[in-house]
Amino acid sequence: MQKLVSIILDCIKNINNERTIYSILHLLNGKKSSQTIQDAHLFSIKKYFGVYESLTRDSFERIIDEIANNQWIKPIEEQRYLLTPSGESYCKKNPVPPHLNGWKYYSMTKLFWERLSLFIQVTSNLVYKETKYIPIQKNKDIHTWVKACLVGTNISRQEIGNQIFHELLECLDQVDGIQPPVLVFRLTGYQQIGLTAEQTANKLKMDMIDYQLEFNNILHYMIKKISENEKNFPLLSFAVYDIKKANDLTNSTKKTWNLYRRGYSINRIAKERKLKVSTIEDHFVEIALNVKNFSIDEYVDKSQQEKILEVARQEQTRQLKQIKEMLGSVTYFQIRLVLAKYGERQWN
Amino acid sequence: MLLKKHFGYHTFKTGQKEVISSILSGNHTLAMLPTGTGKSLCYQLPGYVLEGHILIISPLLSLMQDQVEQLKKFGEKRVIALNSFLSVEEKRSVLTDLKNYKYIFISPEMLQLSYIIQRLQRLKISLFVVDEAHCISQWGYDFRPDYSKLGEIRKKLNDPVTLALTATATRKVRNDIIKSLELNEVAKIESSIDRPNIALHVEQISGYQEKENRVLNLIAKLKKPGIVYFSSKKAADHMALVLRKKTNLRVSAYHGGMDSNTRVLIQQQFIHGQLDVICATSAFGMGVNKENIRFIIHYHMPPQIESYLQEIGRAGRDGKPSVAILLYTPGDERLPLQLAEAELPTNLQIDWLFKIIFQEQIIGKKQLNPEWQELGGFSELQWRIVESFFSEPMQELDDLLSLKDTIQEFINERLEIKKQNIFLMKKFIESSKCRREFILQFFDETMVNKLHSCCDLCGDDIQAFYGNEVCGQSPSNEETWKDYLAKILINSELRE
Ligand SMILES: Nc1ncnc2c1ncn2[C@@H]1O[C@H](COP(=O)(O)OP(=O)(O)OP(=O)(O)O)[C@@H](O)[C@H]1O
Ligand SMILES: [Mg+2]
Ligand SMILES: [Zn+2]
Repeated sequence: MQKLVSIILDCIKNINNERTIYSILHLLNGKKSSQTIQDAHLFSIKKYFGVYESLTRDSFERIIDEIANNQWIKPIEEQRYLLTPSGESYCKKNPVPPHLNGWKYYSMTKLFWERLSLFIQVTSNLVYKETKYIPIQKNKDIHTWVKACLVGTNISRQEIGNQIFHELLECLDQVDGIQPPVLVFRLTGYQQIGLTAEQTANKLKMDMIDYQLEFNNILHYMIKKISENEKNFPLLSFAVYDIKKANDLTNSTKKTWNLYRRGYSINRIAKERKLKVSTIEDHFVEIALNVKNFSIDEYVDKSQQEKILEVARQEQTRQLKQIKEMLGSVTYFQIRLVLAKYGERQWN
Repeated sequence: MLLKKHFGYHTFKTGQKEVISSILSGNHTLAMLPTGTGKSLCYQLPGYVLEGHILIISPLLSLMQDQVEQLKKFGEKRVIALNSFLSVEEKRSVLTDLKNYKYIFISPEMLQLSYIIQRLQRLKISLFVVDEAHCISQWGYDFRPDYSKLGEIRKKLNDPVTLALTATATRKVRNDIIKSLELNEVAKIESSIDRPNIALHVEQISGYQEKENRVLNLIAKLKKPGIVYFSSKKAADHMALVLRKKTNLRVSAYHGGMDSNTRVLIQQQFIHGQLDVICATSAFGMGVNKENIRFIIHYHMPPQIESYLQEIGRAGRDGKPSVAILLYTPGDERLPLQLAEAELPTNLQIDWLFKIIFQEQIIGKKQLNPEWQELGGFSELQWRIVESFFSEPMQELDDLLSLKDTIQEFINERLEIKKQNIFLMKKFIESSKCRREFILQFFDETMVNKLHSCCDLCGDDIQAFYGNEVCGQSPSNEETWKDYLAKILINSELRE
C-alpha cells in the first residue's frame, strides 16, 4: 500500500486544505465530473486521474484513518487535512511511481494492454507454428486489430518474434522507475499461459494495490515512450498510433458545448436541457479547462480576470471563498472560469 | 472420412456413431451420453453433411463461448454465438448476414425475441440442437424457464430434425424433454451414466477445522492435478490461500466473482499443466476438457445427484483411474438449502412487484419495467424467472391476478423439488450399500458387473490414488523477465 499512501499524501499536499479528501477518491477513481476534472488541473494532480479505478470508499477511508493515526497528516476541519513534516519525509522515502500520467493516458491504458497481450500471444504462436490455441482476449475489436497489424507489416513471419522481442527489450530494459516483471510475466505465449494480476503480485511479493499502480505505471511509460519514438518501434507503435485520446469532455458537457456553439446562452441551455443553471456553469468551467481556444471574455471582462488572478497569486490560494471575499463584486462562477482557464499555466 | 478430415480423430467414441447416423436418417434423437464423451461432435460432424444451418441452444454463456472456440480451433470459421455479449452494432451486422454462418449458437433468452425468430425463419434449419437438455425439465437439476418454451419455437422454425443432448437425466426428465419439445417419434440413444474409472468416496468429518485439515492432507498425498469444489466463492478463495501458504503446490481459485479475463487465464493455466489444484465453484467445469484430472474433492455437498455426477465427471477423461471424494460434516445440507431459497424470488418480492404492476396498468403501461429488477432487489436469476412468466405486451388485468398465484405456486413447487433433491443427495451420503449402485438405481439402471475399484463402501482403498509424480514443470524462480520473453518469442529450434 506504500505507493498508494504516497500518492494520497502527495494529493493532500497539493490540495493544501482547499478541498475535502473525497476529491482525492474521485480523482483516483477517474470520476468524470466537472469538479473532479477541474480539481485535477487546478492542483496539478492530474497525473493521478483514474490510476486506481477500483478503489472503494471504504478502503480509502481506512487508509486516511491509518495515515492520520501515523501523524502523516493532521486534521484541519472535517474531512480536510494538511501534510505534516513526517508525512513529507514519508513521501521522500517512498516516491510515487514516476511515470504515472493518468489524465493523459488513462482512457487508453486498458486498450493498449489488451492489444499488446493478444499481439504477443498471436506472434508467439506464429513463431512456434501453432494454429490451434485459445485466445486470451475475447474482445472482437482487438482480434480485428491484430489481424490488421499482421497484414500491415512487411516484417516476415519468421522475423516477427525476434523483432518484437528486441523492441520490448529496447523499451523496457534498464529504465528507471519501472519494473518489467510486473508486465512481462502476465504475457501469454505458445504453450505458456500468462499469470493473472494477483499471481504476479504474489510472485513479486507485492500487495495488490501497489501492484495495480506499478502496472499502470509501466503501461503509461510504454505508451509515452512508444508514441514519442514510433520509428524505433515499428511493431509496438501499431498498438498506439491510432489510439487518440478520447475527447476530454464528459458526455453531458459535450451536449452543452454543442448548444453553446449554436449560440445558446447559459440560461437557454439550462432551460433546453432541463438542468439547473449551476450545472451548466459547471460544464462551462470544464470547457474552459479543456477547450484551448474557448474564450471566457464573454463572462468575465478582462480587467476582472486580471484582478482574480492577482489575488489568487498574492494570497497563494485557490479557495474560491477567500478570493471572493477579497474582491466582493465577482461571482463564484467567474472565479472558477478564470482559474480553470489560466490556473495551471500561471502557477506551474 | 469426415471424422479424420475435419476433426483429426480416427475412431468414434461410444455412442457418437449411433447418434450421428440417427440424425442423418432424419430422426429426432435424444442422446444421453456420459460427461466428456464427445457429445458436441454429434452436431459438429453432421454440419459437414447436411445442407442448411445447425442451430444450437446452449444454456450458459461461458459454455457457448467454449463451444464456439472449439469449432474455430478445428478450423471452422462459419460459427457465431448470438448472446447478450454482442454489442447492438455487432448484433445488427451478424443478423444481416446470418445466412453465412453454418453453426449458430444461441441462448434461450435470445430465442424469445420476435425479430430473432423472424430472422431464423428465413433460414433452413436442418438440425435443431438442445444442449444440456435436462434444463427443460422442472425435475432437471438446472431448470430454465426459457427452455420450457423451446417446443413452441421448434414449431415456428418448421419442425426441424431435433437433437437433445444430456449427460445426466433421470427417466422422468427424459420423458419431460420429449414432451416439452413436442417430438412424437424419437430415437433414444442412452448409454450408462456410470464412469467406471472414477472411484466414489464419501468421508464423514466432524467439524470445519478438521475438514480443512483433511483437504490439506489429501491434497498433499493424492496424484494431481485435481479440483476442489465449493458452494461459496469465499470458501474457495480461502482454501486456495491456505493451500498456497501451507504447501508448495500451484493453486488458484476460480469462481464467478472473478473478472472474465482472469477466469480465462486460470482455466488455460490448468489445462496447460501450470496449476496443480483449482479451488472452484460450480462455475468451473463445463467446457473444461482436460484429460488427466486425477481427483475431484467436494468440500461442500452438491445440491443434487446430477450436479455431483456432472462435477466428478471432469475426472479421468483419459480413462485412467481417478477418485471422487466428498467430505461431509453434519449440518452441511443447510448451505444448499439456503442457496436454493436465495435463487427463487421471495413472496415479499412478488407482492411488491404486483402492487407496482397494478398501479402501472391503471395508467395504461403494459410493459415489465427492467428498472424494477433493481428496485425490488431481484437477483439476475430471480428476475429471469419472473420475466419468463410475462407475455409482451403484458397480460390483461384479470389475468394478472391469476398469474400472481401461478408464479407463487411455481416458486413453492420449485422449492419443494430442490429440497427433495438435497434430501436424496444426503441419502447418497448416508448410504450403507454400494454408492455406484445407488446412483445407477437413481437413473433406473442396474449394475451389471462389480468393479474392482468401486467405492468406499465396497472397500476401495483411497491410498491407491496417492502418488507424487509432478504434473507439468514447476516455475523456476530464477527465470528473469528477459528469459521469459525470449522463451515465448524466439523459437530456438528454428534458429539452428
Ligand atoms: N471421436 C473422438 N475421438 C477422440 N476425442 C474426441 C472424439 N469426440 C470428441 N472428442 C473429444 O472429447 C472431448 C469432450 O468433448 P465434448 O465437450 O463434446 O464432451 P461432452 O460430452 O459435451 O461433455 P460435457 O458433458 O462436459 O458437456 C473433447 O476434447 C473432444 O475434442
Ligand atoms: Mg457438452
Ligand atoms: Zn461400490
